[in-house]
Amino acid sequence: MTQVISKSDLMVWLGRLSESHTLIAPVNDAEITLFRRVSNVEDIALDFTNTTLSAKEWFFPPTETLFSVERKDGQVELVPAEKMEESVIFGVRPCDALGIALLDRPFLNEPADAIYRRHRDKTILIGLSCREAHPECFCTSMGTAPDDPSNVDVLLTEVADGYIVQAVTEKGKAILPQDLLKESDVTPPSPPSLSTVSVEGIEDAMLRNFDSIYWERLADRCLHCNLCAYVCPACYCFDVRDYNDKGKIQRVRSWESCQSPGFTTIAGGYDRRAGKGPHLRQRFSHKLLYFPREFGSAACTGCGRCVKVCPVNIDIREVIADVQNLGGKSGQ
Amino acid sequence: MQQIRDKAKELLTSQAVDCVIGYGRATDGVTSRPLFVYEPEQVEELIFDKTCTHNLTKYLLNRRGKKTGIVVKPCDSRAINVLLNEEEIKRDEVYIIGVVCDGVVETRWNQVGEEKQARCQYCHQHTPVVYDFLVGEPPEESPPAPEDYAAVAEIEAKSLSEREAFWTEHFDRCCRCYACRQVCPGCYCTECFVDRLDPLWVGIRIAPEENRIWHTIRAFHLAGRCAGCNECERVCPMNIPLSLLNRKLVKEVDELFGFQAGLNEEEMQPLGTFKKEEKLGIGE
Amino acid sequence: MGNNDPFIPYLATVQSVVDLTPDVKLFTVELNDVAVRESFTYRPGQFAFISVFGMGEVPFGITSVAHRNEGLQFAVRRVGTVTNALHELGEGATVGVRGPFGNSFPLEDYEGKNIFIIGGGIGMAPLRPVINTILDRRDSYGELLIINGARTPQDLVFAPEFDIWSQSPRTTLELTVDRGDENWTGRVALVPDVVRDVKPLPENTVAITCGPPIMIRFTLEALKELGFADRQIITTLESNMKCGLGKCARCNVGDKYICKDGPVFDFEQISQLFEMP
Repeated sequence: MTQVISKSDLMVWLGRLSESHTLIAPVNDAEITLFRRVSNVEDIALDFTNTTLSAKEWFFPPTETLFSVERKDGQVELVPAEKMEESVIFGVRPCDALGIALLDRPFLNEPADAIYRRHRDKTILIGLSCREAHPECFCTSMGTAPDDPSNVDVLLTEVADGYIVQAVTEKGKAILPQDLLKESDVTPPSPPSLSTVSVEGIEDAMLRNFDSIYWERLADRCLHCNLCAYVCPACYCFDVRDYNDKGKIQRVRSWESCQSPGFTTIAGGYDRRAGKGPHLRQRFSHKLLYFPREFGSAACTGCGRCVKVCPVNIDIREVIADVQNLGGKSGQ
Repeated sequence: MQQIRDKAKELLTSQAVDCVIGYGRATDGVTSRPLFVYEPEQVEELIFDKTCTHNLTKYLLNRRGKKTGIVVKPCDSRAINVLLNEEEIKRDEVYIIGVVCDGVVETRWNQVGEEKQARCQYCHQHTPVVYDFLVGEPPEESPPAPEDYAAVAEIEAKSLSEREAFWTEHFDRCCRCYACRQVCPGCYCTECFVDRLDPLWVGIRIAPEENRIWHTIRAFHLAGRCAGCNECERVCPMNIPLSLLNRKLVKEVDELFGFQAGLNEEEMQPLGTFKKEEKLGIGE
Repeated sequence: MGNNDPFIPYLATVQSVVDLTPDVKLFTVELNDVAVRESFTYRPGQFAFISVFGMGEVPFGITSVAHRNEGLQFAVRRVGTVTNALHELGEGATVGVRGPFGNSFPLEDYEGKNIFIIGGGIGMAPLRPVINTILDRRDSYGELLIINGARTPQDLVFAPEFDIWSQSPRTTLELTVDRGDENWTGRVALVPDVVRDVKPLPENTVAITCGPPIMIRFTLEALKELGFADRQIITTLESNMKCGLGKCARCNVGDKYICKDGPVFDFEQISQLFEMP
């Protein structure tokens, strides 16, 4: 027996949650879908494939104040970032949820990022299984699946008369609207099938082909914009800078990407990673070699957003397949 | 298409160029992507069809000092003229395969549109304005027609507060990926104004005030230089109507100076030219 | 760091600022919070971030020695926005300190060995605490040979300490400049050439070097000519850094983070790095 909630009751539940928490959900805007704060549940888009930016922006925002500097009685005082609100994010696809679990590794690794931890502690994730797969999806190759409940607190799966509701964690169980749930003998639909790419031996293949001219050739068409990193649920490079707005000083961190020109340039002008090939290679090495070595899994969720947005069609699935087929020798 | 392949093969075999930059098929099987061909055998991968919307001229800036062949549409060829005029590339280092074009369609990953892009519908250049080899039959000469600025006029007709609301709503979505800057052939400063710390025009904050400054200053830096290739709008993940913004400045320059960017290599850009006889309007 | 948040610096006050060269100043700071000050300990090779609030934060090798209780010292070369702002500060100014970060020179492993220090320009800053630790525990180490080079005599960074260094037992100090001046009577030669000239023996010796990339490259060649193995040559790598915690993914050279796995590496480790540092 499974628990289900009707579509209209789902809206009631979300409405209730929006009163006790900040509710964040997918919202349509200018022909794309983004996770936004919603006060009116009517604004929620239920019929969406995936958001343009992943849910990571609610744990690792595009711009965030780390602390402010104030002067009190002639003394300098460092004021930590503002308290976060208790939040619920609705509509997180399993790929995005995996992305958050991947971000946990560097951010919560000791010494843990206190601000990120606060975001995580104060946020409840209501996941939404995927009914359909899209040509760019390959999550099953990267350790998750369209109906994977692993990394959310509650997972909803759409069925004919509503949604199956599955509590995954204690946090998730605590917010279930017991009065709106009904017992049902409906079985979960089979998840859609996806295109796949084999990632077996990819770390080794990346290592063997580290110095291959392949990266130079691939980077020929790369524009070195930040798109792939910004839409990726598992990318986390950031820049830190101080701002002084007429005496109000804040230290701010913002998204950045290893693809930005000047990412590794030091004062004085020396750039140890000069060149388009090494720059682009860093992205794939980090995701497919360094991150797995440090944390045990590739930093890719198979969401396909980078494939969708890259202006010049640099397709990570193609890169994975190409690198495995390159005949590089170890130690080269 | 075959003409492009044959010419590319000829250029590579004779070593007239080291590389031909053209279009290839993307991994979705329906759209296209830039393709760099180094070996004559590879030329069969080159394609040309209605999905070839990319402006490849930006890549010429990475190949200074090397001989390169490039496939261009008329809009792209205008960008080449801008770069030649600004002395960023050398004419004898580029072999231009110009393709006669009557428009390309909107493309997104795995999606090919039906209708021609809006910019193609008002484009007056069907034959590349500079080329070494022409592919396709140039259409009959049509009488010169006025530029179509209807989309710009529609925004101009709004009140100031309506316009502010329109642009604010769009700029607020910007995530400062700088894809618009990276794809634009006109944006090639070794240190973009956004990376300057002193003075700090735009910082690293991805926030509404900074987004506005980024877009408006970039549009001004392109005034009199924008060839209208629409790449900025195509690459934007947030659907910000950047072409519209740049077209406004195209209109301004056209109306003030009767000048359009990139129609030929020699004509000096109005914003890069000082004429002694022009009155400054100061102290007169 | 402050507030259990590794991004929030400790507050510190500048105790003194001493001009070392036309563009390098030595800053001595004291952490404001007494408990923090007493528990703050570090080893040669480690670094810390100094904040000039409102301007930014930059990593510097710590150039003082913890057990001397002389305060926390940094040799700062004026080269960019934050270092420029730092150079404008005087005694009593408040700065932020985050650290100590990174690994350190394994000086215990070098006991009983001869130590060969080769430094160029501001590269002497992370080497100074190595020298001073050895001088403080002189009997634990063999011969100490220091080659210190700079562009001009004015650019020799720790000139006030040269007498103390050279007068220490079993210690030789060789100074050299790229360009002399009317008062300079010492060597005018590039550091790698001085290495070849002095010809230290590799047996039971550890070479520790730090300086501009080009100096390191040619010094490495010279040392290998003299028979030094990669494992015997130690250096400290540099990168631009933002967090110092291995989280911002900027300072990695291949799969090693300079802030966490370094900055101290030997050349055998460096030869195994996937990228060029």
